[in-house]
Amino acid sequence: MYLINSAIMLVPTVFALFVHNYICHGKLSFLRKLSFFLIYGVMVSGLMYAIAWMRNIKGTGIFHMTVSHRIEFTLLGCVMSFCLAFAVCLAFEKNVTVQKLKMYLLRFVKDIRKYFHYAVRSARADLRSEVANAYLDWLWWLIEPFCMMLIYTLIFGVVFKASEQFFPVFIFSGLAMWTFFSRGMNVSVNIVRNNKGIISKIYLPKFILYFARMLVNGFKMMVSFVIVILMMILFKVPVSVNVIYFIPIMLVFFLFTFGLGSILMHFGVYVNDLSYIVGIVLSMLMYFTGTFYSVGNRIPAPFGELLEQFNPVAYCIASMRNAVLYCKAPQLDLLVMWAMVSIVLAALGVYTVYRNENAYVKVI
Amino acid sequence: MEDKEIVVEAKNVCIHYRIMKNVTVRHNLFQKRSHEEVFEAVKNVSFTVEKGGILGIIGRNGSGKSTLLRAIAGVFSPNSGTIDLKGHTVSLMALGVGFKDNLTGRDNISLSGMLLGFSEKQIQEKMQEIIDFAEIGDFIDRPVRTYSSGMHSKLAFAITAMLETDIMLVDEVLSVGDERFKKKSLNKMKELINDKNRTVIIVSHSIDTLKSLCDRVMWIHDGEMKEIGKPDEVLGKYLEFMNK
Repeated sequence: MYLINSAIMLVPTVFALFVHNYICHGKLSFLRKLSFFLIYGVMVSGLMYAIAWMRNIKGTGIFHMTVSHRIEFTLLGCVMSFCLAFAVCLAFEKNVTVQKLKMYLLRFVKDIRKYFHYAVRSARADLRSEVANAYLDWLWWLIEPFCMMLIYTLIFGVVFKASEQFFPVFIFSGLAMWTFFSRGMNVSVNIVRNNKGIISKIYLPKFILYFARMLVNGFKMMVSFVIVILMMILFKVPVSVNVIYFIPIMLVFFLFTFGLGSILMHFGVYVNDLSYIVGIVLSMLMYFTGTFYSVGNRIPAPFGELLEQFNPVAYCIASMRNAVLYCKAPQLDLLVMWAMVSIVLAALGVYTVYRNENAYVKVI
Repeated sequence: MEDKEIVVEAKNVCIHYRIMKNVTVRHNLFQKRSHEEVFEAVKNVSFTVEKGGILGIIGRNGSGKSTLLRAIAGVFSPNSGTIDLKGHTVSLMALGVGFKDNLTGRDNISLSGMLLGFSEKQIQEKMQEIIDFAEIGDFIDRPVRTYSSGMHSKLAFAITAMLETDIMLVDEVLSVGDERFKKKSLNKMKELINDKNRTVIIVSHSIDTLKSLCDRVMWIHDGEMKEIGKPDEVLGKYLEFMNK
């Protein structure tokens, strides 16, 4: 029993240490590891107690929680410790300083400005080449997602009797976002290898390659959302002011995909068979993300909601649906939390790529 | 060697390759990290090239010439030491070129040009010139994957030759295409090289080419600089060494 109780503290602490270790390239001595372990332990449990107190569960305390609360707190701890590790590294590690952070940030801004046109041009050329030799041209961007939607509507709407309101729109909007995410991940793993010709001839910041790819996928997602709007008119979906939450949710989603993708991109260079793992994880994640059902409503009580809150993709999709289809505002605290995580993730990704891109050409 | 403006300045350049056998997940999980071998491709090389200078680099296969050239092009930065281009634009001309296979020749021209630091407008102005020079006709609007290897290299040569950068790095591309194109490209090269504002670094195995084009030659052996100086002297010593 004590073991399970302490897991609430231990898992986030170890996770924080893991992230810390990653930021310092695994060069931590045992003593430092131990001391940071203690620091994180204290900080994580402090934060947890603070949150528990704020939510008025102080009477019960950590040792008398229900299972769902335990899981929730563990997950929350992991999310927090992710950001925490970043902050602690800034404060305590010699080679991670605010100055360096600023330097990387400036470099990032400069590179984005310098190569933005290239990325856009490259994305446009890619899009054009995709349809250049097809009979139906750009119509495929409409036909493909539309047919997928029909399939899922048929199977989950008719065969499994899903009861969501505006089911076709529900599926279509979820599918658009999920496709964006999964395509991004699949592409990022091999992107350096696939662009060998370019990067072995000239310098460009490697995340630009991925960014250009994301623009391509993003454009396709936009096309899908145009159809979503058309379908909403057709199904007479009521719209409220909450629709504007669509924009921040999308921003967070984009940032998260970018961050995760650039980290995957880095490991994809060194690990040849990473793409298999990504494939498996993605297909598992697809079912836990609720592309074609509502995670919160369908999965039994504590777990469904938790999954919806702590799986960022599921959270983005679910709150997008709430905002656009069901006139509900998203949970703002969660949105802020995921925004923070995404920013840290993106920073981590860009940092990883900057530090290692020098060696990419030599490896592939 | 009077006080001319220095364009390329390399100081104590060292470049290592960490020989990392491409890892698979199985390796990572079940084996301790194998000790990494470090292979030094370029050791402690320093040199300068002034504006308008033409430097030839010669050496055995695998002696680090191309690595050095790529480092100057900025593909990767040296592990220690510095390479200072004083803010000049640079382009690398090499065999086996980097195009995006799915895109048309035209798109590839634009993209390569943008990476070389030209604006879209500048590229549009040069576009026709490049297409004419490359002599690939209607293929320009077809995907690059349909090109023959000759067309591939001709297009690549045309891009770097027409989009003129301050510093040109040439890696064994003087034998591109058929006889006619070869002659044409050699003439173009000479024209480019003779421009007093352009700095050129050439890597080649051909003694004759280096002798006719360069005003200085550097000999690299196993990553170390053996000699740098007048073409005749260095090439003579190199030949002597190779014939031993």
